[in-house]
Amino acid sequence: MNGTLSWRRIRPAAMPVIGLAVALAFLWPYLVMLLDAFRPSGDVVTTPASILPREWKWTTFSEVVGDERFRAWLLTSVVVAVASTVIVVLVAVPAAYFTARFRFRGRIAFLFLVLITQMFSPTSLVVGIYREFFSLNLVNTYLALILTNAAFNLAFAVWILHGFFASIPKEVEEAAELDGCGPVTRLRRIMLPLTLPGLVTATIFTFIAAWNEYVVALTLMLDDSKKPLTVGINSYVTGYEQNWDQLFGASIIAIVPVVILFAIIEKHLVGGLTAGSVK
Amino acid sequence: MKRRGEASGPVALLWLGPALILIAGVVVYPAVELVKASLSRYSITGLRKGDAGLENFRGVLANESLGTVLTNTLVWVVAVVVLTILISLGVAQFLTKDFWGRRVVRWAVIVPWAASLVITARLFSLIYSYYYGTLNALLLKLHVISTPIDFLGDDRWIMPSMVAVGVFVSIPFTAYVFVAGLHAIPSDVYEAARIDGASPWKVWRLITLPLLRPAVLVATVLNMIYVFNSFPIIYTLNESNPGFGHDTTITFMYKLAFKSAEKDVGQSAAAGLFNVLLILVAVVVYLRVSRWREEEQS
Amino acid sequence: MRTTTSGHTAALRWGVLALGAGLGLAACSGGTGAGSAGGGGNSGKKATTIKLVAAEYSKDHTKAFWDKFATDYKAKTGNTLEVQIVSWDDIDQQSSTMVQNNNPPDILNLNAYASYAKDGLLYSADDVLSSSVKSDLLDAFVKSGTYNGKMYGMPDLSSARAMFYNKALFKKAGIAAPPKTWAEFEQDATKVAGLGDGSIGYGLPLGPEESQGEFSIWMFNNGGDWKKDGKWTINSPENVETLTFLKSLATKKLTQNNPGKTNRQDAFDLFASGKVGMVVGFSPLAATLDGAKKVDYGVAPMPTKADGGEPQTFGVTDYLMAFKKTGNQDAVKAFYDLYYQKDQVNTFIKAEGFLPVTKSGIEQFKSDTKLATYLETLPNAHLTPTDDPTWDKVKLAVQQNLGTAVTGDPKAVLDKLQKSAEAGS
Repeated sequence: MNGTLSWRRIRPAAMPVIGLAVALAFLWPYLVMLLDAFRPSGDVVTTPASILPREWKWTTFSEVVGDERFRAWLLTSVVVAVASTVIVVLVAVPAAYFTARFRFRGRIAFLFLVLITQMFSPTSLVVGIYREFFSLNLVNTYLALILTNAAFNLAFAVWILHGFFASIPKEVEEAAELDGCGPVTRLRRIMLPLTLPGLVTATIFTFIAAWNEYVVALTLMLDDSKKPLTVGINSYVTGYEQNWDQLFGASIIAIVPVVILFAIIEKHLVGGLTAGSVK
Repeated sequence: MKRRGEASGPVALLWLGPALILIAGVVVYPAVELVKASLSRYSITGLRKGDAGLENFRGVLANESLGTVLTNTLVWVVAVVVLTILISLGVAQFLTKDFWGRRVVRWAVIVPWAASLVITARLFSLIYSYYYGTLNALLLKLHVISTPIDFLGDDRWIMPSMVAVGVFVSIPFTAYVFVAGLHAIPSDVYEAARIDGASPWKVWRLITLPLLRPAVLVATVLNMIYVFNSFPIIYTLNESNPGFGHDTTITFMYKLAFKSAEKDVGQSAAAGLFNVLLILVAVVVYLRVSRWREEEQS
Repeated sequence: MRTTTSGHTAALRWGVLALGAGLGLAACSGGTGAGSAGGGGNSGKKATTIKLVAAEYSKDHTKAFWDKFATDYKAKTGNTLEVQIVSWDDIDQQSSTMVQNNNPPDILNLNAYASYAKDGLLYSADDVLSSSVKSDLLDAFVKSGTYNGKMYGMPDLSSARAMFYNKALFKKAGIAAPPKTWAEFEQDATKVAGLGDGSIGYGLPLGPEESQGEFSIWMFNNGGDWKKDGKWTINSPENVETLTFLKSLATKKLTQNNPGKTNRQDAFDLFASGKVGMVVGFSPLAATLDGAKKVDYGVAPMPTKADGGEPQTFGVTDYLMAFKKTGNQDAVKAFYDLYYQKDQVNTFIKAEGFLPVTKSGIEQFKSDTKLATYLETLPNAHLTPTDDPTWDKVKLAVQQNLGTAVTGDPKAVLDKLQKSAEAGS
């Protein structure tokens, strides 16, 4: 009892400290990366290693941002990730809601089919994907990459949303149903607000997966200006010329939009949930 | 009750249609192509030379490294998934506590997930490096070790080093599935328990964990699949090691097509189908063992 | 096969397009797609657009050169050249995907060609290379580009290896001149390694990236070769002796840690750190070293096993090969005509820091004293058997196995490679 009491006293100070430790545990490799972006490329691969740059180089980020190719890659990444995420949410929400609320033939089969789509490694499917989009004359288009990303990330969204919809007690909807609301209205007015954390998780997940997709983009987007960041930035380090500083500078920039998106919608991971009061 | 939850086929198609079209269009078609490729004979250039029957499958099964690769895969998937789930439960619990600066900590935790896996893998191959690695520099400075460790070259260290990175990049996603799951647990459930005077551990074990079960199930299944299919970490961290000694079935498949003396996309396609089969069986077994469907139907 | 799937494909197309339109995303489709790059296709019309898939040597020069080249090509011929740049790491996968889908580019830049020639996919020089262009190519590269009596592998640029040594470390170790024989080499490596402070005598990369290159240059300087008189000689006594020698360097701790798992670039980075006495390098390494201005280095011919032997240079060239497609022959020929103009090919080579592939190129580069060591030996450079399609597989087997000799039995490793080479041809 005494222990609990003293923990209560130090908690306000201790928790932020632990928080800092947790944050550092996840950030340290990227701090190393940031330091590497601030040293000349050769210093990154110099032995013995030094933790701080032996020589600071401040121009890396302006070099990268000033690079026309980099800006084109960034644009592709943004367009593809945003569009893929929108599609996934639009497609996954009805599917997840329906499978969670209604019994019908093939329900389990559908959920399993969705899951199986995840089991194929994109590396092994890429030849077929290329063939398909080639015959549709869609190689080197954003649409091809958007559809691929949407399809491959559907499973997570459907599954996570299915779980959330299923966890909301049926009673919540029953009242609305008695008021004459159809399933679409119930989904929009009641279920979605209640499952916002799930929706946010699905959104973040899809956005990040699309943002970081590599193998399919590599094969479909051969036109340099259409490459997304993940593929494009490999140019900074080739077998014959290494610009580690620029590669890492570009990679740091690539992380920022994701963290911003997360910061904007993160608060919805919390709250929105009053479902418990019904029980 | 029951009748209201029933739905007819056409209605179901309306709700699920878009998802089905997307899957059929972008996943099923390439998968059929994969099956065709596995039954074809290819030249090293990728030119199709004719039918192969089951020759490619026999070739994969006869590969002398197959045993090593399967063992590596098992170790890799089990180690990464188990560690990821356990650590993520702790991290998620922490991230749902109220404290000053929590939002910033949440942003920090997302970073390994936000960063491209290809880049994180390259970053770690530098961090682990025998000669220029920050990790060795740090351990030497702190006098934890007296000579550098060859994390990516010493057979005893390669797998643990890869697993560490695998866990590191899998935690954020898993932890956020749990955070979302924890937030979905109504707070009055806890209040009732607190009034009963249950210890925090008991509350967690008897209330939190069972209510988090759907999230744990989903996270485990998806992690199994993602970790199994994870390519960049193993490929990049293992890049300077000759042969298949530290490969999993996914990098094995890739090397069969482009990096090994086989250089055969037909065999690689056959290996790709074996991979799907392998993970399918693993997931079904897991779902059976965890009795997912009973949960689902209750 | 095309016809049987076309009905299916049409249905699929509608499905995908309907989906895209239904979601209001058709507008997101960027551009019109480059899929029609084959140009004339089946109709027998002349292609006016050809596609080049080029490997990326460096970020700032490769794309810049080819973009400029495409402009010049358009101005000169009226044809369009679509340029696609692919990283070396991924180009095997890209080219394989395209060939599997019967959609190769018109021109492909790669480090191998013989398998493509064997599959009958390529134009030979007789079809697409002007005789004046062909006669300007260095004989060594014409030979390496010739499969079954016809030339298919047109060289885009070349490199030659030589021994790089760290002058400061040599001075500190009291070594007056770079070694001429293996015995001297070993003594010098021992002296440098003895300097302590993490000094490494010799940077030996036998990891999977390019171990065939490192092994090649050593075996050539011991009178060995991969193939002699049309027969594989991978496990010849000279080669076993060579690999045993390399292994002994590791055993005696004259090399960096774990040479069987060290890739070329890692060895270069160590040399650029100033910790390594000697390493086998090429001109891109020189460019890096000159840029960093940290290591004072010299470049010398390779030491030979025999006293007073003639040092052998290991030469490497990459290829620009042309795929046979209906109607593209003239456009492809115009491509080569333009590429091999002095102000094109040599501009590219100079920007990327490599060596010429033409006689006129050697003349033009002669003024550069830094390149003197390489240019003299280039016409006599010794190459790997890239003209044999079997080599394309043997090379991979070597890459994946040679490193194991450092901790294993060199003879057993080479015996195994010999066997797989014999089985493959």
